[in-house]
Amino acid sequence: MFGKAVSYELIWDFTISGTVDESQRWILSAMQRYGQELVTMLWRMLGNEQDVCDAYQNTFLQLAHCEGRQKPEHIKAYIFRTAGNVAVSMLRRKVAERKRLSKAAVTRKSVSSPANELDSKYLQENLRCCIAELPEHLRNVITLRDLAELPYNQIGRILGISSATARVYRCKAVQLLAAWMSKKNKKDNENYEYK
Amino acid sequence: MNTNNNCKQIRNWLYKAIENCFSLNADWVQNHIANCPKCQRRFVTIGKVNLALSAIKSQPHNLDLLMRANTQAICVLKHSLRQTPKAQKLKTILPQPKKLERWGKYTHSVANVAACIAILLLMKIGVFSSVDKLQAEGQKVIEQYYAAHVDNDLVDELFQKDAGQSSSTNHRGVMAI
Repeated sequence: MFGKAVSYELIWDFTISGTVDESQRWILSAMQRYGQELVTMLWRMLGNEQDVCDAYQNTFLQLAHCEGRQKPEHIKAYIFRTAGNVAVSMLRRKVAERKRLSKAAVTRKSVSSPANELDSKYLQENLRCCIAELPEHLRNVITLRDLAELPYNQIGRILGISSATARVYRCKAVQLLAAWMSKKNKKDNENYEYK
Repeated sequence: MNTNNNCKQIRNWLYKAIENCFSLNADWVQNHIANCPKCQRRFVTIGKVNLALSAIKSQPHNLDLLMRANTQAICVLKHSLRQTPKAQKLKTILPQPKKLERWGKYTHSVANVAACIAILLLMKIGVFSSVDKLQAEGQKVIEQYYAAHVDNDLVDELFQKDAGQSSSTNHRGVMAI
């Protein structure tokens, strides 16, 4: 009698673990399907491999625990938006930390010079900082269009806007980025002259 | 539904037309920029954003980044998921080139095959025989024209003489007159 009870229990456990396994297998499918695009987008946003791995892990962890562990209706939209948000908060943290450090120890090396203006690394860092400061709706479009290289119709579907609106947002985002980047450049150059 | 599709198509055409007219590469925009210092400044700043975006895009990452990211992400998933064969496969996956890039090397061969198929189809439809017919019709018209303007005997002599030869020779003969 006892043996029978144990065997029933085992069967029950096996069934439960089997169903849980099946119910969450879509996470692995999503990872297989969108992983490569996601890593590319995160790499372009963060520019650091360890940060990319962290943001990627965080994204899938949030996916596994979203809405009571249920599969979201639009997985691609969920993944890309979550990854974008995670990456931006990481970027902001990085920028804040850099500011704090540069305040603590201002050295001539940390200040940009006019010669740096066309330096690729300086440009990239400058752009990343400015992207992190953009309003959410513009930032989402610029990251999905220029960093994830998705077509406008897909961006529209992910963000719940029309592709025309996405185009307009991208145009506005580029204008804002251009203005902010040149402002930052001027400021850095003034700092350099002051030094 | 059909009206919606039409509307969408028209809007797409409009965007393309507007992009063609108002893109930064349009001649009138370039002419304006050449003479307007304010626009030159704007153009330079936007150029810098595009340059930075291209620099970011061209920066390569290690080939095993996807593998490492997958491994790290799978580590925090449930034990049952971690043990699945799919998870094991994801831990060793390498980035694959896009379909277009993968098939890009076959473009020339595909184009050649397509050209051959097109020629075969044209032969099957009878386009080449129609060309011959057209040539004969043209010769007749030229004959009639000369018959109307030159002496009949001369025309008979000319076209009878050339009848056995190719059409190009005919044409040259007529032109020589």
